[in-house]
Amino acid sequence: MDVTARTDKGVVINIGKKEYREIGVDLDGNERLGAWQIKEIIDLTLPPGKTTEERFVAEFPEGTKSVDIEVLLTYYLTPGYQSVVHRVGKKVGFER
Amino acid sequence: MRSIKIIGLMIVTFFLLVPVLVRGEFNTIDELERTYGDKACKTCHEKTHAEWQKSLHAQSVVHSLGGVRNFIVFGLKRDWKKPVNRENLMRCMHCHAPLLEHASDSLAAEIGELVVSAFDGNEGAKKQLARLNVNCVVCHNTVAEVEINLRGATRPGVYYGPSGRPTAAHGTEKSKSITSSAFCSRCHWLYTPPDGDTLYCNTLYGSYQDAYKAAGGAATCQDCHMRAKERGHTFPGAYVPEMVKEGIGIDLQATGVRVQPGTGVPAAIITIGLFNNAGHRIPDG
Repeated sequence: MDVTARTDKGVVINIGKKEYREIGVDLDGNERLGAWQIKEIIDLTLPPGKTTEERFVAEFPEGTKSVDIEVLLTYYLTPGYQSVVHRVGKKVGFER
Repeated sequence: MRSIKIIGLMIVTFFLLVPVLVRGEFNTIDELERTYGDKACKTCHEKTHAEWQKSLHAQSVVHSLGGVRNFIVFGLKRDWKKPVNRENLMRCMHCHAPLLEHASDSLAAEIGELVVSAFDGNEGAKKQLARLNVNCVVCHNTVAEVEINLRGATRPGVYYGPSGRPTAAHGTEKSKSITSSAFCSRCHWLYTPPDGDTLYCNTLYGSYQDAYKAAGGAATCQDCHMRAKERGHTFPGAYVPEMVKEGIGIDLQATGVRVQPGTGVPAAIITIGLFNNAGHRIPDG
């Protein structure tokens, strides 16, 4: 999941990134910690029936009047094949 | 005309019975495919066969080349110093191509080489491996029953399904097991290969049982992946974007604030909720 913001002046700021995956391999399919048996040690996936909540606090340059927040949720199936699951946005203003 | 139909039916029946009557060691993929392939089933079950061809069960080896290749190259050869023979290869193939239990050791070794070669980009090797999969014979005969040590193994020449509707082409039997999630758990859970070992390969069913069912979930694998929206034998999973969209809901909340006194620095507090609607963890297989 990638979170970005575009300011009213057109500057794109990366706010944060989160990965939900099996622990054994990285998003490119490379072994990261050894064999897949490592799965039993830690679970980085989204659990069923539950909401996984992420919170970011992002600061923007002085003078910014508004930003368009965008959240892009991408599913990596296999190396080289990915699909956008959700792209949602929200405009946030800083006017006094 | 009538006699032609009878002869045709006899031929189809012969090819449907052969897979479960012939038990032996095959030395080529051709032999294996001739005996346990899906072509005879297609004769009568054209629509279901077409659905299945769209599924990853039809590509269960070529779609998982990375994992099987890692098992061979890093596991068997590098870490465990074990031969690539049928017994060891079946630790993967008992799920990815169960009918390889009928392969000779030399064919198993050849398939091991094809996996590594296909992973490295050899299209010819990939084409050969595409003929190995989880086909009709696997689910409707070979592994159609669960708890076979108690209930008894499936019978040769009999195809198991939810209806058990009789046909002249082959024996049929109604199977409750095949409609249960436990049936799918054979491969989509902690897996016990033929040598009795325990493998952590796919753990999807673990989260289904321990997180979804334990919290009151009632749907079976078949409810979402077959019956819903008449998905049938396409068994859509994460490779179908619509399925992932159904599985994960998203909520975005964002509030603008100023974090310092005076003019203040513009800031945003962003909260994102990802709700997993599926009956199992995401991602997994």
